Amino acid sequence: MKNKIAVKVDDLTVAYNYKPVLWDIDLEIPEGVLMAIVGPNGAGKSTLIKSILGILKPIAGSVSIYGKPYEDQRSLVAYVPQKGSVDWDFPTTALDVVKMGTYGSLGWIKRPGLKQKKAALEALEKVGMLPFKNRQISQLSGGQQQRIFLARALVQNASIYFMDEPFQGVDATTEIAIINILKELRKAGKTVIVVHHDLQTVPEYFDWVTFLNVKKIATGPVKDIFNDDNLTKTYGINYKVSIQE
Amino acid sequence: MNNAQIEIQLIASLVAIACAIPGTFLVLRKMAMISDAISHSILPGIVIGFFITHDLNSPILILLAALTGIITVVLVEYIQKTGLVKEDTAIGLVFPALFSIGVILIAKNANDIHLDVDAVLLGELAFTPFDRLIIGGIDVGPKALWLIGSILMITIGLLFAFFKELKVSTFDAGLAASLGFSPAVIHYGLMTVSSITTVGAFDAVGAILVVALMIAPAATAYLLTNNLKRMLAYAICFGVFSAIAGYWLAHILDASISGSITTVLGVLFLVVYLFAPSKGIIAVLHRERQQRTEVSLLTFLLHLKNHKEKSERHVNHLNEHINWHKVRSKSVLELALKNNMISIEKNIVSLTKKGDDFTSQAINYIITNEDAQIEHMKDDFFLFRG
Repeated sequence: MKNKIAVKVDDLTVAYNYKPVLWDIDLEIPEGVLMAIVGPNGAGKSTLIKSILGILKPIAGSVSIYGKPYEDQRSLVAYVPQKGSVDWDFPTTALDVVKMGTYGSLGWIKRPGLKQKKAALEALEKVGMLPFKNRQISQLSGGQQQRIFLARALVQNASIYFMDEPFQGVDATTEIAIINILKELRKAGKTVIVVHHDLQTVPEYFDWVTFLNVKKIATGPVKDIFNDDNLTKTYGINYKVSIQE
Repeated sequence: MNNAQIEIQLIASLVAIACAIPGTFLVLRKMAMISDAISHSILPGIVIGFFITHDLNSPILILLAALTGIITVVLVEYIQKTGLVKEDTAIGLVFPALFSIGVILIAKNANDIHLDVDAVLLGELAFTPFDRLIIGGIDVGPKALWLIGSILMITIGLLFAFFKELKVSTFDAGLAASLGFSPAVIHYGLMTVSSITTVGAFDAVGAILVVALMIAPAATAYLLTNNLKRMLAYAICFGVFSAIAGYWLAHILDASISGSITTVLGVLFLVVYLFAPSKGIIAVLHRERQQRTEVSLLTFLLHLKNHKEKSERHVNHLNEHINWHKVRSKSVLELALKNNMISIEKNIVSLTKKGDDFTSQAINYIITNEDAQIEHMKDDFFLFRG
């Protein structure tokens, strides 16, 4: 059992228009796990990540990253939003999007320079997208766009990575490439938290899992808690058949 | 050209630049309508400011009017946040209400002030050289020139300082927030600059042209480039070109300057919309035709690949087999021949090695959607460019 806690969520409640979408979430994520957050649509998976990252304001509760508030620990955290959350017709190139990952370390006003460009190129290389560096982002396939987003997170050189459905709408090759990179990150001692949809691949990809449906159902090692009981509690229907197939 | 003519063109050009910069970001943020709202709803701010200062170029008036611009944005967002109406409806509710307050204020006090609704809507560039800025008894130029010049300097300064922040928060507000660049701060910063620019340009070009100068150059530039810096540069060039060309058009036609500038902007957009190299209508139609031909070519090659028997590959029967018109079959046949993808021997068509490889790769791509292997084909075929 790892003992250091990377992310700690206490009594977190988040509401949209006074309707709670997350209710009293307590969660401890140990350092160095590759964790899936699973749950049905509308369970608050993305909301949980956004609240941890301070993008959404919770109505109650608190979040800490290595024991301190997120605002003090930004440099330790990288975020990959859902691919569909941005306008891919935006006039910019793959390299430029990856460079945006370096903006956080630069702070306000300072411009990215050669050092940032070099880091961005290295990240592009890691995700196999170097040949596409000057391509306009709308000219990339869905899988390539997701790799660009991953590269942008890698360039942040963080300790904790949050990813919102990185496998959505990508081809099988990209999915394998992405999960291999995530596994490498875990090997390097990083903590990776992924909103995930495909229950079939949870045991294969992840070593830690959180079941979420407005409330937290369970969290722990995949081998201990990824079972029919928790799946049924989370999804409300019996998952036995679909998982054992 | 006399001095007044030069001054008018200079003012119009500076207004165009000052508008194009925030306009580019408004277009990219899909907020073009907000500039329309701001330009109308600052009217009560201008009128009240005018009652207080009796000077259309006073900084107090500018700030008051810009404040009404910000209030517009806040109101629109507040109404939208209730979830009862959508953003466009919220905009449609807020700005006519504020604008009408301005109209009533003008009408009630029309006898005392030289501000009328026509001037507000269309502006009057031709009169700007008459209102001079006198410092210590020396005439240093039209007030409007100094006003828009100062606003432009501030805008350019902010653009250089916060270009990176504007870019990241426009492209991906979620990432910007997680990196610590508050999207709200940048949003309201941009709204403030847009409001101040609108007020500064209002007197010279009026409420309607301000919108045109903010949106049209940016929209035109958007069709021509995939690079944000270039988009800004193009938008500025289009704005200045329209300002100067519009002035001379008005001169020739003896018509309203602001109307002529807007007309030039519209024509410019139309020309680019039709002829832009990759996003223009003609280019798109050409590409679609090309794609159709390429699909036909692929269908044809696939037919050849699937049928080893000669009867299926006879030149004269091909059109029957694939069920195409003769003309189309002929053009596809010629295209395939030109690309060395087929050979014809005694009227029997066969795939060449190149044609065979091409077909396999293309089919593999269509089935698996893995595009790493067909990267080299993208340059030659529209079909694979997504």
